[in-house]
Amino acid sequence: MLTRLLVLLLPEWRRALAGVALSAGVTLSNVALLALSGWFIAAMALSGHGGPRIEYFAPAAAIRGLAILRTLGRYGERVQTHDTTLRLLARLRVWLYQRLEPLAPAGLQRYRGGDLLNRLRADVDSLEGFYLRVVLPVGVAVAVIPLLALVAGRIAPAAGGILCLGLILAGFGVPACLIWLNRHFGNALPERRGAYAADLTDLTRGYAEWLVDGALERLAARAEANALAAQVLERRLAWWNAAGNAAAMLVLGTMLVAVLFALAAPVAQRALAGPGLALATLLVLGSFEAVAGLPASFKARTEVSAAAARIFELADAEPPVPEPARPAALPCDTSLVARGLTLGYAPGQPPAVAGLSFTVPHGTCLAITGPSGAGKTSILNALEGFWPLRAGEVAVGGVPLAALSFASRRRLFTVVAQSPYLFNTTIRENLLLANPAADEAALWRALEAAALADEVRAMPAGLEQLVGEQGAALSGGQRRRLALAGAFLQSGPILLLDEPTEGLDHATEQRVLAALERLRRGRTCILITHRPAALRLADDVLELRSPL
Amino acid sequence: MAAHAAPLDAAESRRLGRWLRRRAGGARQELAGAVGGAALAGLLLGPQAWLLARVVDGVLTHHRPLGAETPLLWALLAVFAARAALGAMAEGLAQDAALTVRAGLRAELLRKLTRLHPREIAARPSGGVATLLTEGIAKLDPFYAAYLPQAAMAAFLPFALLAMVFPADWVAGVIMLLSAPLLPLFMIVVGKGAEALNKRSWHQLSLLGAHLFDVIAGLTTLKRLNASAMQARVVAEVSEDYRRSVMAVLRVAFLSALVLEFFATLSVAMVAVYVGFRLYYGGIAFLPGFFVLLLAPEFYRPLRAMGAQHHARMEALAVAEEITALLDTPEPESPTAAVALNGSVREIRLEDVSFAYQPARPVLDHLSITLRRGERVALLGATGSGKSTMVRLLLGLETPNAGRILVDGVNLRDAAQAAWFSRVAWLPQAPTLCAGSVAEILRLSRPTASDEELYAALRRAGAEEVLAKLPHGLSTRLGEHGAGLSGGQIRRLALARALLKPAELYVFDEPEASLDGALIRHINALSTELAREHAVLVVAHRPEAVAGFDRVLQLSEGRLC
Repeated sequence: MLTRLLVLLLPEWRRALAGVALSAGVTLSNVALLALSGWFIAAMALSGHGGPRIEYFAPAAAIRGLAILRTLGRYGERVQTHDTTLRLLARLRVWLYQRLEPLAPAGLQRYRGGDLLNRLRADVDSLEGFYLRVVLPVGVAVAVIPLLALVAGRIAPAAGGILCLGLILAGFGVPACLIWLNRHFGNALPERRGAYAADLTDLTRGYAEWLVDGALERLAARAEANALAAQVLERRLAWWNAAGNAAAMLVLGTMLVAVLFALAAPVAQRALAGPGLALATLLVLGSFEAVAGLPASFKARTEVSAAAARIFELADAEPPVPEPARPAALPCDTSLVARGLTLGYAPGQPPAVAGLSFTVPHGTCLAITGPSGAGKTSILNALEGFWPLRAGEVAVGGVPLAALSFASRRRLFTVVAQSPYLFNTTIRENLLLANPAADEAALWRALEAAALADEVRAMPAGLEQLVGEQGAALSGGQRRRLALAGAFLQSGPILLLDEPTEGLDHATEQRVLAALERLRRGRTCILITHRPAALRLADDVLELRSPL
Repeated sequence: MAAHAAPLDAAESRRLGRWLRRRAGGARQELAGAVGGAALAGLLLGPQAWLLARVVDGVLTHHRPLGAETPLLWALLAVFAARAALGAMAEGLAQDAALTVRAGLRAELLRKLTRLHPREIAARPSGGVATLLTEGIAKLDPFYAAYLPQAAMAAFLPFALLAMVFPADWVAGVIMLLSAPLLPLFMIVVGKGAEALNKRSWHQLSLLGAHLFDVIAGLTTLKRLNASAMQARVVAEVSEDYRRSVMAVLRVAFLSALVLEFFATLSVAMVAVYVGFRLYYGGIAFLPGFFVLLLAPEFYRPLRAMGAQHHARMEALAVAEEITALLDTPEPESPTAAVALNGSVREIRLEDVSFAYQPARPVLDHLSITLRRGERVALLGATGSGKSTMVRLLLGLETPNAGRILVDGVNLRDAAQAAWFSRVAWLPQAPTLCAGSVAEILRLSRPTASDEELYAALRRAGAEEVLAKLPHGLSTRLGEHGAGLSGGQIRRLALARALLKPAELYVFDEPEASLDGALIRHINALSTELAREHAVLVVAHRPEAVAGFDRVLQLSEGRLC
């Protein structure tokens, strides 16, 4: 998982490395500040007691210089690393979009609900922490530990070895043990948390129903039981973590004492004097900071890996419908012929549609009716190339749809979906998605045709009106007609209508049907409906039977 | 960086801060233990520094071999061990405190969730409440486990350390004492600037941040419009805008960290240089000088640690705002002395009922309707005519603004809500299934139902075919929100759930909205049968669907016509 994330980091490696270098520099300047201060006051004390006089201006200035360097370095480091993080995030977002685009909608089925989209959002948020919380502390430790060990080794080789060993043990060994413990004893936690979250979603989603059924308290009790089970595990993990931090602290303390023992020999041999000893002591004390960020980094690693695993699993899926390597040219004749069409979602389950054949001559409209679950929408999904065919073939003007490139296939169809999605932007922007070249007049003509123009004119911001999250600022009927206006802006010669008047009252239905009559003029059309009123658009009717 | 909560004004954040601290009362013992452990561990910094200073002083001043200091080194190791143990205790207890507070809040919120008016739930974004009770309250953990103990440490430890520094060298003590108040002061000044900037740009930031997810949610639509490939560029542009805007805020926000760092580091340097010169001129001995130098960085550490937890506090305040808003949501009033509803219902009468969600827009306008046992009534009307609202009033989910609803002469307002709920069965427009087995889902409306009764209800709902498709029958677990079932199949299960209930009034709301004729016919046949013993109301869109009903009511703009 993390290796793959590192690969995504590669294009920004210079910035990433600069961030690590700055951060390591800040840590080193702090250690240097402490060590130099120790040496300085020890040397000054010796001078004051009649020892060798020292030139004190340079070290005193160096101490102040290091303090300022550390401060400014810290600011630069934070700006640099956050900037890098945001650049990586931008790349990640584009990458994710490009991976998900070919998968929609079949491959994203399980991310359909708003709650699952929230999950994806939280996962992308976790990945934000990859550089800042995972890579950076490890990078700094890896850069700083050898340098510190080298300096300590110059004072006494054994001290260098002990410092190196101690820092690695405290910074990497202890967290690794914790990860192992968590993995072996904490793996029931995500499941429990998931069950609790699902209970809550159920509870709020059907609130009025549970209230009438008197089931609210039972559902709340179920949620509480799952939450309590999760909490027992969380408490255990928290204490393990605390014990881990204590172990790291003990390792560092032992390291300091061990270094002092190791320095006994050079001190006895007069190879190391007081100032050197003061410097070494503060060097070791200061070096604690080099590994201070690592426990949090390992904790973040677990979280980031889990998020990355979910995202990669989603992004790695094969597109359900392959694009032909050598696409055929777009046909002029738009008669549509289906032969032996068999469709099914899950491999093990019976097909939603089996062996269906129909013909829609150029310029006519075929209505498909039938009970729910009979596979009406599946037929449209297959035509649009969203789901693969299990068997059979659909051809337009004699050219099999599977032989067309995705782009030409989409140019062929104008679709009015059952639940059209509106983007959280203006009415204008939503319409322009259907046809980026449309001018002001064309937009109003389309709104007029969809019987929405008057209402848009009455809105305070007109075309610039924001539609809200998923069109929440509009009524259901307005959302439907806005999508219809988009269809008027498109030029796809085959019209696919999925329950275009469902859920509309009688008067609105009549207006929408009149608009659809204008829309279907000159186009071949497939209309899915269960409403008798809509059948007046159709030249022919195909009734599906439930496969149940 | 990811979450962009709307910035709070000062009075509001003080109020929420107080609320957060009050909630800590439930975990007072754990928190006291955590702070006590951390304080003891902090105090041990004194002996640690003194032991180290003694060891170095022995070599430097008294030319003793290091080997002679072995007892001191063992003592040093013991101090480290004690600090580690105390630190672990403090951390573990602090986490325990956070978990205790979270558990208490969760129980309270869940209880609240069972008592709200359904309108309050519908008014919140889908998944919002669920997110608040999972990830939301988990964001309080750092406040109780880290921020609160750190704040206590920041108020205590610097003074304790100063008390050790002053006897050793009072001048260094004065330097520290003078520099300390500057830190929070500058942090506040710079923090205000960042806050103002954040206030201006948070809305834009949250829009930019959410763009990718809006695009992904609408991918199918984008593909249909042949606009999906082009969107990759838009995603890149928006992400770049997002980066620039966030960095503009962060450049200012980091200034407060810069100030903190500057004073802390510079003060250490000043103490070092100053102590050095005092030693040079023989003003103090080496041992206290070195001791002071070792303690100087520790003096600023608690303040810096608290600064690092600033974010935890901001997040906790944002969550606290949501939680208090939910907890303070008024609950529907229940009558003090509920009138009992006994025996089978003969008549339900709406008398001159008016209702409006917003005062300016009446939905029901002096409506009078009577439903009787043994009668099958249909309700017709355009969208927005008030059908759904009338159903909600009839079910007892809303109460009339004017007029009254009488059940065999008893005003529904005077009866216990739960008592009326237990006598109505309802098939909503878009029914909900919860996760669980088919049996669990059905038993929600009647926990005591036997397997035979479940089968009978499924048969009456015409759902045997659905059942035949499920591999483990009644104990088959359905995925989230009935995943794997079609809309029609979900409806049949929900119908079975409604039929399980021993009700007096049956309400089928717009059953034909997304359904086949077969189910409409099924419900119409079912309603004939149910109407022999009960009152039945079917809400429909078109007259042809309800031919043959005893009465057809036509609703238009909240009135009968």
